[in-house]
Amino acid sequence: MNALSGDTPTQATTVLLVEDDAPTSWRLQDALTKAGYQVRAAGTLGEARAALAESAPKVLLTDLQLPDGHGVDLIRETRARFPNTEIMVISVLGDEGSVISAITVGATGYLLKDAFPTDIAATVRDLVAGHSPISASIARFIVRRTQASAEPPPGPPLNTTKLTPREIDILWGIAKGFSYAEIASHLGMSRQTVPGHIKSIYRKLEVHTRGEAVFEAVQQGLIKL
Amino acid sequence: MSEAAAGAVLPGRRRWQASRIIRYLLLQALIAACCVLGLKQSLPEPPAEYRLTDFRMLEAGAEHMVRLPHFTAAHYPIDASPRFTMQFVRPADQAGHAWSVFLPRFTNGVEIAVNGTVVLDSRRDPAANRPDRNTPEIADIPAPLLRDGANDLSIRLFVWGPIPGFLDRVWVGPDEALRPYFDLRTMLFVTLPVVFASWQAILAVILGIMWVMRRHEPAYGVLAAAMGVGFLQAFLQTPMGETPLSRLNAIVIASAPLESALVLTFAMLLAGLRWRRWWLVLFAPGIVLALGGLVAGQSATRALFPVVAVPMVGLSLAIMAIVSARSALRQNNVASFLLGCAVTMMLTCWIVDLLSIFQIVPNRIFTSRLSYSAMLVAIGAGLTWRFARALNQVDGFAGKLVAQVREAEEKLKQSFAREEERARAAALARERARLMRDLHDGLGGQLVSIVALSERGNGSAGIGEAARAALRDLRLVIDSMDDIGGDLMLALGSWRERAMAQLRPHGIALDWQIATAQGLPMHPELRPWHVIQIVRMLDEALTNAVKHAQARKITVRIETVAGTGGVACGCISVADDGKGFALPAGTLAAGGGGTAGSKAARGLRNMQNRAARCGIELELSSAASGTRVRLQLPHRFPDSDTATD
Repeated sequence: MNALSGDTPTQATTVLLVEDDAPTSWRLQDALTKAGYQVRAAGTLGEARAALAESAPKVLLTDLQLPDGHGVDLIRETRARFPNTEIMVISVLGDEGSVISAITVGATGYLLKDAFPTDIAATVRDLVAGHSPISASIARFIVRRTQASAEPPPGPPLNTTKLTPREIDILWGIAKGFSYAEIASHLGMSRQTVPGHIKSIYRKLEVHTRGEAVFEAVQQGLIKL
Repeated sequence: MSEAAAGAVLPGRRRWQASRIIRYLLLQALIAACCVLGLKQSLPEPPAEYRLTDFRMLEAGAEHMVRLPHFTAAHYPIDASPRFTMQFVRPADQAGHAWSVFLPRFTNGVEIAVNGTVVLDSRRDPAANRPDRNTPEIADIPAPLLRDGANDLSIRLFVWGPIPGFLDRVWVGPDEALRPYFDLRTMLFVTLPVVFASWQAILAVILGIMWVMRRHEPAYGVLAAAMGVGFLQAFLQTPMGETPLSRLNAIVIASAPLESALVLTFAMLLAGLRWRRWWLVLFAPGIVLALGGLVAGQSATRALFPVVAVPMVGLSLAIMAIVSARSALRQNNVASFLLGCAVTMMLTCWIVDLLSIFQIVPNRIFTSRLSYSAMLVAIGAGLTWRFARALNQVDGFAGKLVAQVREAEEKLKQSFAREEERARAAALARERARLMRDLHDGLGGQLVSIVALSERGNGSAGIGEAARAALRDLRLVIDSMDDIGGDLMLALGSWRERAMAQLRPHGIALDWQIATAQGLPMHPELRPWHVIQIVRMLDEALTNAVKHAQARKITVRIETVAGTGGVACGCISVADDGKGFALPAGTLAAGGGGTAGSKAARGLRNMQNRAARCGIELELSSAASGTRVRLQLPHRFPDSDTATD
């Protein structure tokens, strides 16, 4: 659910695009460059690390399946080294398997590879403005994890214990196809605060350190001591 | 066991059986002989120098000499009790020693006087009043009473039946010479019965509890009752005077036939016989005796006792001997065999006692009661031992059972796991088949369309659109695989996103209206393939509006309405503000027969098929002001996808 607007960025925002499929990469580069972003492209994990060594981008867009490694590692490294960099995962289907695993290591949104050029630019702009996009299916996946169940549900592990009831209500609204305005009016809050809540949800789903990951795995019963 | 048939076929077997009977009888005879020999052994006696045998007997005013032991008549009035007198000599050198009178055996009571002063009245000792107990008495003679030289000894014998009176030889001498013999008899004939009785009480409780917990084994209950009666009779006292309480006490006398009936019943049950109602007859003598005591007083009971109780005991013993022997020989019942041996002992004791009563043997030591108590205790202990052994067997059995159950459980678990695996595999195969069909319906067709477009070479815009449609369908299929828990709103939420993304480049607004608070009712029976069909129908409506209607705004309205019969049904309508179109004739009515030419007509037919498969009422209306597609969901979605494309 992207809040769209026609404004162009006032200053060149740096974007590091990591995508191994050349035509897809070109397409995304085109869309972003036309919108005024300063794009650097990398085809492999190695190239991406080299580019990160040079300078920190404002936005990192990365595919997950890369020829020499996994995008999740890149996201984790970037999050650790550059806390101010906004990270998005590029996905063909926007399925929870890829998106949730990216969110838990620090991504705050995802981009569909076949999105229209205007939507691509708008999504990145919203992200930089602090508005994390979230799809109905991802919201549905998260709220389903907040419900107690006897056996661990399929899919990537996710700790939802930090989410507040209000945040879960917002996720329910998104999962059922309500707009931000509708959710805000239902929950008696300002429409402008909804994107902030979503960003906060992403942050809470993030597993920050290795120690914390182990702790949370124990908390959730994934690891037995 | 068919003895006759077996015997006819196997004469050897009959011979063998006969030899067994003879061996059994010989063994019983040996036991009886041992008993007789044992009973003939007289108890140790004090030195003969203190023994007094020759008395003057004063009876009914007449005086004559008697030699002890002496039997008298069976009854005397209290004031006409016979008196035995004689003189004994206390040597002068014995002046410093305490002297006593020792009476090893008498029936029923005695009053001893030395030099005219009474030193003992046995009637005050309840244990001594029971003729069935061989209670001895010893009387200390106060030193001032004794004179050097001759002293007078007078013994009054009280006899109140039912058996003839009896006075055994009397010893008068230094207490230290007589007391050990008195103590020995007391231990044997007073203390030992009490020990047996308390043992019987314990066994009565144990067996009673066993019977209460195992009602199908009446043998335990019967034996517990026998033990209980035996215990009671040991501690109740034989009354002397006639009081209401004494009449109740007279029942004690009835305990012997009651007990013998109970033990006989137990023996028959032990031998494997089934309880019959007529066995109650066995209890008749005991009941007659008890009622006689209650109604007519103890004298009547005493009169009845020899004619009712004594034969009853003997009869019971005889039946027990036969039943036990039969069971021991025919069924190799070890318990019956042991019981048979015990009965032989008791029977021997009973006969000897009877001979004593009829004064055929010059002795009056009754041993039936003692041997009976000992036998009961032995039986009780044996049964308890048997029960403990059975419990051990049950434990072993339970252990074995636990192991077997564990084994079976393991096997079951394995087979269950296999079954589960098979079921999972089957479910996966079904799901895969459905997925294939869904992908074929959507993605396959779109990819073919892309191939066709790319071969034409000039339709690059068309390729993009087709490919995007293919991706959209792929997402739909993947999305529908997720379990949405029967909430169709969750599927519509995802569809809204895709619809917005689809409409945005065309500049078409999407007006999303949820008319009722909850949106659509829950459908627990909702399956992924229902979701796919519904979303594809909505996609179809959307695509028609985008491609053919030149609409500016599409309104999706979601509500819950009252369907047929008043049940709540979900309703989704997609309306555009486009130019509308003419419905192809017959398409809706005939379910897709004739005009298959136009693309719109094919789309409509697809929608109809999908609606039919999911039990959805499809309503299509088109006018110049726009087109409206309305899906009224069923109250319950059909389980199986029976319709074919």
